[in-house]
Amino acid sequence: MAMNYDIYLVGVGGQGVLTMSDILAEAALRKAIPVNVFPIKGMAQRGGFIKAQVRLGRKVTGPNIPEKGADLVVGMELSESLKAIRFIKPGKDFVLLGHLWLPTAVMLGKAPYPELDQVQEEVKAAGAHLLYLDPEEIPLHEGAPVPANIFVLGALLGHTKLGRIFDPREVSNIIRHRWKTGAKRNATAFQAGLEVSG
Amino acid sequence: MKTKILTGNEALAFGALRAGAKVLTGYPGTPSTGALTTLLTMPVVKDRHIEWSTNEKVAFEIAAGASWAGQRALCAMKMSGLNVAYDSVISIAYSGCNGGLVIYVADDPGASAGMAEQDSRGFALMSDLPMLEPSSVAETYQLIQVAFNLSEQIGSPIFFRLVTAIANSHAMVEIEEPLPPLKREPILEKDITKYTKAGSAISMTQHRDLIARLEKAEYIIREWGLNRLQLAQEPGGLGIIASGVATSYLEEGFEIASQYGVKSEDLSVLRVATPNPLPSDEVRVLFQHCDALLILEELEPHIERGVYLEAHKWGYKGKIIGKLDGTFSRVGEYDVSHVVKGMGVALDVDIPEDCFQGRSEAEALAAQRPITLCAGCPHRGTFMAINQAIQKSKFNKDEVMVTGDIGCTILGMNPPFDTVWNEVAMGASIGLAQGYVHGGVETPVIATIGDSTFFHAGIPSLINAVQHQVPLTLIIMDNGWTSMTGMQANPGTSKEFQPPGNRRVDIAKIIPALNVDQFYIVDPFDLEDTTATILKCMHLPGVKVVLARQECAIQAQRRDVMPGLVHVIPENCNLCQLCIIHTGCPAIDVGEDTIIIDPTLCYGCGLCADVCHREAIVKE
Repeated sequence: MAMNYDIYLVGVGGQGVLTMSDILAEAALRKAIPVNVFPIKGMAQRGGFIKAQVRLGRKVTGPNIPEKGADLVVGMELSESLKAIRFIKPGKDFVLLGHLWLPTAVMLGKAPYPELDQVQEEVKAAGAHLLYLDPEEIPLHEGAPVPANIFVLGALLGHTKLGRIFDPREVSNIIRHRWKTGAKRNATAFQAGLEVSG
Repeated sequence: MKTKILTGNEALAFGALRAGAKVLTGYPGTPSTGALTTLLTMPVVKDRHIEWSTNEKVAFEIAAGASWAGQRALCAMKMSGLNVAYDSVISIAYSGCNGGLVIYVADDPGASAGMAEQDSRGFALMSDLPMLEPSSVAETYQLIQVAFNLSEQIGSPIFFRLVTAIANSHAMVEIEEPLPPLKREPILEKDITKYTKAGSAISMTQHRDLIARLEKAEYIIREWGLNRLQLAQEPGGLGIIASGVATSYLEEGFEIASQYGVKSEDLSVLRVATPNPLPSDEVRVLFQHCDALLILEELEPHIERGVYLEAHKWGYKGKIIGKLDGTFSRVGEYDVSHVVKGMGVALDVDIPEDCFQGRSEAEALAAQRPITLCAGCPHRGTFMAINQAIQKSKFNKDEVMVTGDIGCTILGMNPPFDTVWNEVAMGASIGLAQGYVHGGVETPVIATIGDSTFFHAGIPSLINAVQHQVPLTLIIMDNGWTSMTGMQANPGTSKEFQPPGNRRVDIAKIIPALNVDQFYIVDPFDLEDTTATILKCMHLPGVKVVLARQECAIQAQRRDVMPGLVHVIPENCNLCQLCIIHTGCPAIDVGEDTIIIDPTLCYGCGLCADVCHREAIVKE
């Protein structure tokens, strides 16, 4: 791979953000593309802010992506996505999954929560190309929703420049080898992401 | 040799094994925890000892003892742990060591784990110990092995520093097979001039030797070429001195600066891998070769100050760009923008201000997300009980001091509990509480602490309270694990989960032996009893200890253990939301006509049922 590609992922604990970055790291290892993945998971087991920075291509690379430096931003939760906007490079892909993970104060009506169109406007104001993923598009498998992180990974491979770096089949193989159980469920998730209308 | 994806912590652990380390100790603390965690999940190797110790001071003394017995030893800790161990570090620095002795300390620029942005390089300067610091995950594996060799060459403990961005980053590392511990007969050397400080003559000789060892280290470091100097062909250009992780941003910075006319072949670069001792010879070469210097190091300007001293000594008149001239902040992490900005300032190149300024307005719209307790966390019951006990007492909530401590128990500071007032350091809750009493506070004073924190540094402080008869209530929230750092076993962990050959030390047996005035054991899932016990303690004289005991829900759930089943009776729910207001439990959500409990998250603790006035939540 001649080019460098920097990915900034955000979400909340429990959504599988760090698993996504692990899968990308493994895909890089298999293609011998230099990679550095820097996850920050804060303190809470679940429900806290999570981010991961994946830097592909440079043999020597610092772990942090600068502001306006990411070729791809992935926001897995509506409000947390706002924290990633300053990292997107103008003109590059911003993938937003519209999941809501409401803090207690918001649930009790004591604190505000951003609206979807506010977030979309901010992404556009940063000059990014927005790909919005409606959580409604996440398919069911045997009655239960498939994992959102695998669905979004599929969408990244199918609808962003990441698909030119990694072959979706390779990534799909990695996912299949990673979890012995639930292979069908994950395959459904990945395929639905690949084919989602962006 | 094979290529694997490893974290910095893992690379360090594998490097220590490759170097033949025999004794590896530590206390868990973000971002250093991963090093020992990795080792403890590997198959047990005969003759190698790996442990989580009671605290960092104990951990370091064990490692130092092993080194004095001639073996290679590693001790791992976070920056605040080094503060705990430092008393012994200074003393053992004076004595020196036999087997290679490496102190791994992880700093956290950016404070992602919510502690001080302490720059532990300052400790290396103060103790006259060499410190090595790699610039990447891959380099960590090699450099940790060099650290063991250097330690043995000079006979001194060596610091090895990582920052979060390297300790927790995953990257490709070329590693070799781990080696068994080096086969060495233990040494029993009796020499009070080396192993004690009996008298000023011994101490001052040791001080002289310590300084001599650091000078020897400087010589060897130069011989081994650990600090890499690359000079531009033509003199008169810019010299860059970069240290640790800042070094890893140089190439990217040169690429960007080249778009603004900066030619990388005009740059001289010194990549510093030893923040102590400062590579002064290489710095002097830069003085001769360069008209300006740019210094890139996160946090405190330690290297920069050293460069100023050398500049004064050698009469260097060029510009020095760094923190002391105001170009960079001492707060936060670095990235490539610092490299580019620094070159712009040093070379008077106009680089647009907004080159690295993203749209920051967006962040202000994001919802606050205070971290909270997991669903089923037993600490929830204790915080609810403290709040209810205060409410039932004759005091207001703002009249009852509740001191806090390190670990998951500090989450009582956040809503909906707002119980805990402060957080200082391991064990500090008990000392602070005594200070408030002596300071004249006559309302009840409560201290809260977790089990591992109590073992780590709480016991001496409780003994002090008993000896000086300070009226206070100590609540030990014992969930049986060191949970915040990822569920390590500690002395109090149940017998069946202790590592093979270990014995459990039960807090319930320690407290009575300390002769406290009152001692109660409660189940925090029994809200009524826990509340009544705390309320009683608030009004009793003397030192009262409440041991609130219930296993960490995360660990119990991994074994499919649940205290009960909780379900909602929708027709009884009027959406008053008292359950959410009191528990803040992540398993409870607001539905259309009723609250909803997520069965995949709910642990069945029943605390929500305890606060429901309408029997809309039932525990079976």
